[in-house]
Amino acid sequence: MRRHPWDPGLQVERTALAWMRTCLSMIVVALIAFRFAAHTSLAAALALAAVVVPMALVSLRLAWRRYRTSDANLTSGKRLPDGTLPLAVTIVTALTGALGLVYVLVDR
Amino acid sequence: MSRWPRSVYEVGNEPDPRFSLANERTFLAWLRTSLALMAAGVGFAALGPVGDVLDLAVAVALLVTGVACSLSALQHWIACERALRLGEPLPSPWMAAVLGVGLAVTGVLAAILVITR
Repeated sequence: MRRHPWDPGLQVERTALAWMRTCLSMIVVALIAFRFAAHTSLAAALALAAVVVPMALVSLRLAWRRYRTSDANLTSGKRLPDGTLPLAVTIVTALTGALGLVYVLVDR
Repeated sequence: MSRWPRSVYEVGNEPDPRFSLANERTFLAWLRTSLALMAAGVGFAALGPVGDVLDLAVAVALLVTGVACSLSALQHWIACERALRLGEPLPSPWMAAVLGVGLAVTGVLAAILVITR
């Protein structure tokens, strides 16, 4: 089915792309940390990658679903999704930083 | 079904969705900033000049600022969304000032470390 986007400025799409960029950054940061940590402690590195990468992939999936929901809701006059996913990705991001901190402090 | 956080969705009126979407993108940009700080911290620890106390301090400062940025991003998103719903002026992005000054100090420190070793 072809139809016009909800907003001619493509706000919903731009927001979806911002979500994608953020989740991909999360994966990149986890892999960088993995690459460095693997030199000294493979266990720590694996723990970091095994925790953050799957969480980032799940976030990516949920962000895509959020885009579909936002688009469908707005075109049918309903409200945007709430702040649950922002809360979740904040937790994953803070956790990434905390794990990075553990690596930096323990690793010398 | 109640929407999270209640402190936002129980006050005021539904704002123009475009404003909420812009608020969401700002929040995401802050998260990417905090991820960049974390990458810088880990990178500096791994590739930094020698590995003494001072460059450990730079790495830790970058990582702690990264975590602080991610938490303040959510706090700011909530505050902005609330202000949008209540028709109030947007809250000031205080973390931007902290980050600006903090990065300047960290940058100077890191430059000194890199040049003198």
